[in-house]
Amino acid sequence: MSSLIDKKVSRRRFLGISSCALATAAVGSQVTVLRALAKDGKVGEPATLPTRDVFTSCEMCVNKCGVIARVRDGVIQKLDPNPHYIKSRDMLCARGNAGHQSVYDPDRLKYPLIRTGERGEGKWRRASWDEALDLVVKNMNRIAEQHTRAGMMFVSTEGFQEHFFLMLAECFGSPNTLRHPSLCLASNIQGFGATFGTNPTPDVLNADYIIMSGANRSEAFITPDTIDLIKGAGGNRKVVYLDPRFTKTSAKADEWFPVKPGTDMAFMLAMIHVIVKEELYDKQFVADECVGFEQLVPHIEPYTPEWAAAECEIPAADIARIAREFAAAAPKAVYYQGRRSSFFDNDTQMRRAMAILNAIVGNWDVPGGMVPNGKIKLAEHVYVAPWYDDVPPRLDKDCVTYLSEKDGSWKHFRDRVLEGQPYPVKGMMVYKQNPLQSVPNRAKTLKMLEQMDFICTIDIAMSDTAWYSDVVLPEATYLERMDPVESLSGILPVLSLRHQVVEPLFEARPNLWIMQQIAKRLGEEVYESFDYTIEEYVEHQLQHLPEAQTMLETRGVYFESERPTYGSSRGKRLKTKSGKIEIYSEKYAENGHDPLPVYASPAAVPAGKYRLIVGRHAYFTHGTTQNNPFLHDLMPENTLWLNAGEAARLGLRDGRMVRVKSAVGEQTLRLEATEKIRPDCVYMAHGFGVLSKGLSRIHGKGGCDAELLEDNACPISGNVAMHQTFVEISPA
Amino acid sequence: MKNKRFAIVLDTRRCIDCKACTVACKAENNVPLGRDNHRNWVTEEPLRGSYPNLGQSFTPGQCMQCGNTPCERVCPTRATGVNQDGIVTVEEKKCIGCKYCMTACPYNARYYNEEIEAVDKCTFCAHRVYSGRLPACVETCPTKVRVFGDLNDPQSEVSKLLAKNPHRVLKPEMGTKPYLFYLI
Repeated sequence: MSSLIDKKVSRRRFLGISSCALATAAVGSQVTVLRALAKDGKVGEPATLPTRDVFTSCEMCVNKCGVIARVRDGVIQKLDPNPHYIKSRDMLCARGNAGHQSVYDPDRLKYPLIRTGERGEGKWRRASWDEALDLVVKNMNRIAEQHTRAGMMFVSTEGFQEHFFLMLAECFGSPNTLRHPSLCLASNIQGFGATFGTNPTPDVLNADYIIMSGANRSEAFITPDTIDLIKGAGGNRKVVYLDPRFTKTSAKADEWFPVKPGTDMAFMLAMIHVIVKEELYDKQFVADECVGFEQLVPHIEPYTPEWAAAECEIPAADIARIAREFAAAAPKAVYYQGRRSSFFDNDTQMRRAMAILNAIVGNWDVPGGMVPNGKIKLAEHVYVAPWYDDVPPRLDKDCVTYLSEKDGSWKHFRDRVLEGQPYPVKGMMVYKQNPLQSVPNRAKTLKMLEQMDFICTIDIAMSDTAWYSDVVLPEATYLERMDPVESLSGILPVLSLRHQVVEPLFEARPNLWIMQQIAKRLGEEVYESFDYTIEEYVEHQLQHLPEAQTMLETRGVYFESERPTYGSSRGKRLKTKSGKIEIYSEKYAENGHDPLPVYASPAAVPAGKYRLIVGRHAYFTHGTTQNNPFLHDLMPENTLWLNAGEAARLGLRDGRMVRVKSAVGEQTLRLEATEKIRPDCVYMAHGFGVLSKGLSRIHGKGGCDAELLEDNACPISGNVAMHQTFVEISPA
Repeated sequence: MKNKRFAIVLDTRRCIDCKACTVACKAENNVPLGRDNHRNWVTEEPLRGSYPNLGQSFTPGQCMQCGNTPCERVCPTRATGVNQDGIVTVEEKKCIGCKYCMTACPYNARYYNEEIEAVDKCTFCAHRVYSGRLPACVETCPTKVRVFGDLNDPQSEVSKLLAKNPHRVLKPEMGTKPYLFYLI
């Protein structure tokens, strides 16, 4: 096993460089702090002549778009799109443009904080890094002694420095890492993975026919998909869009259907029915590349368009027509799988139906079809985690059929922490994630936090979760640190590097530094895995790619080709049991799940109630950017969307405050009476109704969906089901 | 050197109202926060039809860099002018903040900037343009709604787009001869 770098050399270099860098940072930051404060809210001159341009990549959401930061006198003036960055197609969205506000926001976390009052009371005292880190490690060790190392859980979400956090969990010896996918796309990955052996990417740019179920690409940005979707507008491109809301994607789609929530699978099965019955599928492709088609034929017999029309409230004639158009456009036709949280507890099976529909028209690995992702290989950082005896397996082990080992399932994990079974989890390290906003049933999450002996949160702002912690550690923002190179997979894979743009303000530090400091305190054996600088780490990642180093320096991105390669997986063994595309899944049958997707109607909306639905926004990323001054300016609070007819029936006027009540919680927010939603649903944007007073702009504004949503989950993937909650509305 | 006639051509069919342009402009030009303060905006047009037969479009807007400038005519101090390339300008030092120009502008394209104590508005990011770059809103737009260029150059993208496509201007009845063209 090769280690990342030679230990002895690195130790010396690491110490030398770090003390030096810290000295500069201290001097530099005093000056920049003053400038930042002077700049706060005041108008300066336009960013005419930056003194320095720095390539970096955005971290305002998950897309990692290419950015050029324009810096003058040590202050970031403006973030512009990087024209070389092929993934983001030379663009930057509202969030990306607001990025530097997270650096100069007076609300940002500035120093380590230690709680002095009750949890959630908001009483803190400023601590030195040494004191805060000593306290963190003291608690980690105490919990390990009292409850085994599994008694500490490590909560994180994706980002260029998450790797170091997960490494710390492993080196500390806890199996309990809990990431975001069970709140996001675990069911999607599972459903497509079971069918194709991988979760492919739809080739939006070249597709002639695209169907989307709730993938609101005009607002829920994914690069390059959002941009590619629009490029075809007015041409041969046809976009069919299903969503209970009239979104900005509806406004751009050729056809919009306000589908009844939870019935998309009926629509897909009926499309399959028509395509199979009328023999519109790709016979050669199905014979060569798929298994289980013969089981599909009798299976889809009852799923006629007429049957589906009654379920999903889309006319049978339209379903049949769309099925024919889709098959005719194939293989340049995709049922776009989206990339969002699951709607219902049968979500994995719904994704299976979607995958099967894609497969039978033969859109596999061709222009305009479903393309398996390419990835540029980086040198791996091999480390040896210490071995600890008597550590039990994951707390949520075996809670669902296919649990992702590092990601876990939030719903089940939290339930088991609350039960204290099979063993107690009493300590929590949090990096970037904000479960109080992101996990349905906030009351339960609060209970989980209450029973913890110790919680430490690393973040750039006082999130709700930070607000309920015992120690809060301020991370440097993405513009204040150098990050590892990230290999971004896709149809056109790229390497992305985040160069440091400015020195960290105040006492914020990069996550690697924080991890190193904790590792040092945990002991030599743990620290060995962290003994390098970020520059050394990056150099090692790129050791086999000298051309990448140059291109990352000169263009801020690295790619091997500007044109996609298609067909490389055709005729090759896929990563499924049979090595082929599995229409019928033996694997699911063996584990007691339906081997072909079986439809069940969603529970009906009870009289006097509404189904609460969630969705994404072009201005906000989940619960993280609502307090950003520029973005807050666009939308200072969320509203409850209610169909205008329903509002009139209830005698509720647009703009008045309403109380929304579900089985698990209650929130008050402003009503928006609108035609843009089905009469049986209500919607609110995510990320408001925050508990933390450290988010001064949005505290006390709007309502929190996580407070209202019930915590149902998919039994196959453990993904939460976001659309199974009914609410009552009354005047506030 | 020959003068230019700068213009923007917009394909609003591509606009998804993501407000990237609005935020880019705020960042580039230090526009103070507050939704009444804007150089650049996107209008969400009223919904067409009723549920479930709905349609909606979005119209980006900014100073129209008019060929016939009502703002210039009413300015008592000649703070507002037009430069050699057709960009309508405001001289901060000459502006006394009387707001006549704001009243005169049919496009509501001007706002009073409390912090510089002068009226402010879109300048086509002249500081960027004259250093060889695109206006911030044009460069950042995810779906490339906007195309910026010189109408005096028949080979420019804007000239070609206007030659090939039917287009309109906003509020033509005002006779302001705007240089923002919207493709139909």
